[in-house]
Amino acid sequence: MAIDMQPESDRQPGREPGGREPDAPPPPARPWWRRPAVHTALAGAVIGYLLGHLLGNVIAGQYSQVVNSGQNDYAIVLGYVLGTLGWLAGLGVFSDLLRQMTGRPVHATEEARDASAGLARYFRYSLDHKVVGLQYLVGMIGFFLTGGLLAMAIRTELLSPSYHVFSSATYTAIVGEHGTMMMMMMSSLILGPLGNYLLPLMIGSKRMAFPRIEALSFWLTPAAYIVLLSGLMFGGFPFGWTGYAPLSVQATQGADAYAVAFGIMGISLILLGFNIIVTVICYRAPGMHWGRLPIFVWAMLTTSFLMVLAAPVLVGAMYMLITDRTVQTAFFTDDLGGSSYLWENLFWFFGHPEVYILALPGFGVVSEILPVFCRKPLFGYKVAAAGMVGVTLLSFFVWQHHLFDSGINPDMRPVFMLTTELISIPTGFIFLVAMGTFWKAKIRFTVPMLFALGFYFNFLIGGISGVYLSDVPADTTEHGTFFVMAHFHYTIMGGLIFAFMAGLYYWLPKMMGIRLNQTLGKIHFWTMFVFFNATFLPLFAVGMAGQPRRVYTYARSLETLNDWVSISSFLLGVSILIFVFNFVYSTVIARVHEEGNPWNSRGLEWQVSSPPPPGNFARVPVVLSGPYEYGVKDAPPVADLDPPLGVISNAYAAAAAEGAEV
Amino acid sequence: MSETATPPPGTPDLPALTRESEEANFFHEAALNATWTGVRLAVGALSFAFGCFVFAYFYLRSLNSHGMWHPAGVKGPQPWAGAVIMALVVVSALVQYVGLTRIKASKKGAWQASAVLALVLGLAAIGLQVWELLNLHFFPGSSGFSSVFVGATPVFVIVVLAAMIWLETLIMRVRVIPAISFVEQPPTYAEAFAVQRFQASLSAFTVLWNYLAVVAIVFWVLFYLTA
Repeated sequence: MAIDMQPESDRQPGREPGGREPDAPPPPARPWWRRPAVHTALAGAVIGYLLGHLLGNVIAGQYSQVVNSGQNDYAIVLGYVLGTLGWLAGLGVFSDLLRQMTGRPVHATEEARDASAGLARYFRYSLDHKVVGLQYLVGMIGFFLTGGLLAMAIRTELLSPSYHVFSSATYTAIVGEHGTMMMMMMSSLILGPLGNYLLPLMIGSKRMAFPRIEALSFWLTPAAYIVLLSGLMFGGFPFGWTGYAPLSVQATQGADAYAVAFGIMGISLILLGFNIIVTVICYRAPGMHWGRLPIFVWAMLTTSFLMVLAAPVLVGAMYMLITDRTVQTAFFTDDLGGSSYLWENLFWFFGHPEVYILALPGFGVVSEILPVFCRKPLFGYKVAAAGMVGVTLLSFFVWQHHLFDSGINPDMRPVFMLTTELISIPTGFIFLVAMGTFWKAKIRFTVPMLFALGFYFNFLIGGISGVYLSDVPADTTEHGTFFVMAHFHYTIMGGLIFAFMAGLYYWLPKMMGIRLNQTLGKIHFWTMFVFFNATFLPLFAVGMAGQPRRVYTYARSLETLNDWVSISSFLLGVSILIFVFNFVYSTVIARVHEEGNPWNSRGLEWQVSSPPPPGNFARVPVVLSGPYEYGVKDAPPVADLDPPLGVISNAYAAAAAEGAEV
Repeated sequence: MSETATPPPGTPDLPALTRESEEANFFHEAALNATWTGVRLAVGALSFAFGCFVFAYFYLRSLNSHGMWHPAGVKGPQPWAGAVIMALVVVSALVQYVGLTRIKASKKGAWQASAVLALVLGLAAIGLQVWELLNLHFFPGSSGFSSVFVGATPVFVIVVLAAMIWLETLIMRVRVIPAISFVEQPPTYAEAFAVQRFQASLSAFTVLWNYLAVVAIVFWVLFYLTA
């Protein structure tokens, strides 16, 4: 069925079937305390938790395993699940669904749904992608600071092998909380804030494909955060972030918090990735063909595929763990027909793509920034995109290297050693692209560029140590030591966090119309770079000397190195405080407005004012050239922001001509 | 509003454009495509979620730890219940699909009747599966098989329930769309867009529901036929 394109003025006013008349007065606004927001969400969460707990006690209070163990996992899990549903209901997540189910029209836009302005909208279930991006930003910084404080606690304990601040159980619980908190947060660290905020701007759209799903993906993260932290009230969980069975099946109720929180976060990741993929495929402006897609968007797209396909396996594994702990299934109990290896396979089938869920967005951010500050085109754009696609595909075929030392069939080891080493090739593409871009460039050493350079330095060490660990003999020697821990901190903190900081300093003027103080930014970079390396480089040596992970004591001979690492980590914490101070100082105290294009970037997102106006673009832009044609003679402008009438319709003319029949 | 232009080449049925209508159409087309893409992506994600359980099924079956995959003395689920649940889902998908062909032929009423029937059949499948889980003849952890069965079937129930909620919203949406809108061009953009969005959503639902019918068959084979 084709749509008649008569001008609206010649026709009857538009009204959706069953909807309001266009000129009908809006319904009266409710007082603030009756509007869904964080306060109603908290009330819903408390009511939901109590209801779930009560239900769990009624259902399972007399079960033999509950009576004999003195712990009712049913009540805890039902409390968490209904608490999360209550949290979402309190936010109004289900109200549009209920309206649809009862045949009433839904509010189509954020403006119609809730006219809140100012700070209030950041505490609501907002459908505006820019609001969701900033919600994510603050949320993920909160996650990061909490995980960072737990890291400080770990390093405090490791100051001495014999004088203990915590008990061994408390130490293990802190390590588990730190690892899980950080892995959950890192997965969304870039795609959540920067992706949600910038993606529509970078592809020339005014919105994400599914705003409700976008908002839901964010509002699940505070629920996961609270559930995970609540595990400490039950003594935490003793198995780190990997949750290996059978320990995770046998542990006390803290394990329920781990499984539910990670499961909720997995759902959030699926929704986040799903929305990004559909948006990139369907909402690109005319002219924004695949060869002009910003490299950061390529990174988001490939990462999102990993999220959508790998995270369901995480959710499934967490669900199996919960059923083992509650309804007494035996997925991971060998004596009853299950297998603890089933957990390892499922977890790492997600867990290794997860590594690239963390790495790829970082690659995207720094690759996006390099040409801006090198003032030359991105070298090997197609190679970089192909590298990301290659990493995405290969990442599904490497997970068994985590089982090298866990009883894997020896015949399988060479296969997974090979696939793991192969993945360094597309990763190398991305480094080559950077080297080519640096070549003969007149580099501007701004704060974002410094962080980008720091990323390449750190990730190189993390990557090379990863190739070393992919060898079976090396892995067998170093497995479970601080060497592995140093390796992945170099890739995740040295890689992702440095890239996040680069992105934040680069895009914050766009997101908030405010530039962070550059002097403080440089102090932040140098302290963070120096103390990051001072913290994690010695840990390779500590690991080579045999210090095991997740153990609160160690050989006396390693005390000096550990003290060095701990003191460096505290100073690393101070560098993060410098960032927090800079953030608060620049955005609240000494606001320096930056409304234009401070970096002279060709990115489409920089062609509109900062922060972007509602709807992002006055008109759908028509993209005319790629975003990296710096220094190219006669390069056309990146986009026509006010294209002539009729040009945009060419983009959908073919589809419209065919008709939109079902 | 006053600025108009001739339509682009190749679109003879688009006589005049305004800036507003041009952009509205652009995002409308994007939304229709998003529905098409989204449901296929959802099927991919669901395949990995169900794939977890299929992997667990074959992994534990091949390991047969301590001979406890499906020991002879341990009862399985009731075959008649599995067959009926699978049949209900498959018939529901077929009925809905037939209804889809009718609405394509501009028969709104025929789709409504078939959709209500498909909804009832789907809800009956959910009810029967829940009843079966509440009346198991074996302990969930009595074997590897029973663990996978007790773990996988509630997930299937939840996804089917979500699909039925979607179908119910479609039934409610179509009530306010005049039957004539499926036969000829509605008089306003808003109405035309609403009809097209409904059609896209119905098409997407059909993809999902047909996929779940295939999953129902796979689960029936795994849990009832070859256990």
